[in-house]
Amino acid sequence: MTQHHPDSLTLMEFSAGNLTEPHALCIRLHLDQCSHCRSRVDMLDSLGAVMMEQQPQVTVSGSMFDSILSRIDSEPAVQDLSGMRKNRVGPLEKLLGTDLNALPWKRQLGDLSVLDISDRFPGQSEQVVLQKLTAGGKALAHTHRGEETTIVLQGAFSDKKGVFNQWDFVVLNQQDEHKPVALEGDDCITLSVLSAPVRLTGTFTRMLNPFIR
Amino acid sequence: MIKQQNQMHATIKERPVSTLDQKPARAEGRKDPWSQMLEKVGKSQDREAYHALFQHFGPQIKYYAMANGLSSHAEELVQEVFVSIWRRSCLYDWRKAAASTWIFTIARNQRIDMLRKMRRLSAEMPVETEDLWQIPGDNEDEPVTSLHRLMSERRIRESLSLLPEEQTTVIAKVYMENKSHQMVANELNIPLGTVKSRVRLALNKLKVILQDQNV
Repeated sequence: MTQHHPDSLTLMEFSAGNLTEPHALCIRLHLDQCSHCRSRVDMLDSLGAVMMEQQPQVTVSGSMFDSILSRIDSEPAVQDLSGMRKNRVGPLEKLLGTDLNALPWKRQLGDLSVLDISDRFPGQSEQVVLQKLTAGGKALAHTHRGEETTIVLQGAFSDKKGVFNQWDFVVLNQQDEHKPVALEGDDCITLSVLSAPVRLTGTFTRMLNPFIR
Repeated sequence: MIKQQNQMHATIKERPVSTLDQKPARAEGRKDPWSQMLEKVGKSQDREAYHALFQHFGPQIKYYAMANGLSSHAEELVQEVFVSIWRRSCLYDWRKAAASTWIFTIARNQRIDMLRKMRRLSAEMPVETEDLWQIPGDNEDEPVTSLHRLMSERRIRESLSLLPEEQTTVIAKVYMENKSHQMVANELNIPLGTVKSRVRLALNKLKVILQDQNV
């Protein structure tokens, strides 16, 4: 049972379809295992439906229904989707194409290995990283440059804020300095999404204010 | 637990609300008319029911597309959504979601999918739109949850009208205009914290049971 959940605002952005794909993946992986958050998102989806219902409505062209009918008529009969859905491969497996432990991990300092998978998300500015901390291993103390969203995929780690088990969801920012330790028993693997460095804004501000330099 | 019992109680006492002439059968008392129609489409490919759904939801989805900046593709989105409704209707279960909620999630997914295709990202991405955005576990039976689902939509509709405009404005921008809380803050020229607190206040007042456990 997961203990650390995404907050309502993040779930609302998920329900509205406004998150970037790496962030949506983190939420989706959490929802897979957390019925508490699934029902929260259900309710937020209902809020979305009610919002849509209460907006102004725009007349749809008269011929459209006929073209929809001819489209469904020209397609093969409705397939049985229910069987297909049950055998569906999870999003992470699809993304990685292999088992978590079989990935080409890159050894970093000490007990930490990493794998940057940002290139799996073309067109996104965020950095997406898998990190593996050997069972019982320690990571160096570190802070975070922007905002870092993490979901635990395997094993568990602890820091001064508590213990984070499989499928727990954590958001850390510049104020959070932590020194995670993997629990004994299993290597701890996490998926993290790091917001793009804010350097761009700085450059832009300088361009706007050439005389202040 | 007590809360759940109260909610069940409330469901039983509530009268079915129907905007259609026909009276729903007793056993279908908790189904709203649109959910009944969608079920007919799923079970027997009922085209009359499908047309009624189209007339009701088509104009909503068209506005949704336009508000999302897809003006020149608005009718295309309506079409995609309805083709998808037809295809997936066999999976629809009224006990798990009201038709409007179910259709909203299809509209949202199709909107995301369309934007992806425009940016030509879908070919390069191994993960499909639905892998990321659809709530998993649709096949599971979660009776308590499904009761929540039916209750919450009715409750949300009723209490949304009581919210101050500044709160509904923020929520509308998030849901209808695909804007992040940060973008809403920039647009309304108010701090991000204000946007967030308006959303939190609204969610509390909507009695959407969304306690944040680790804040």
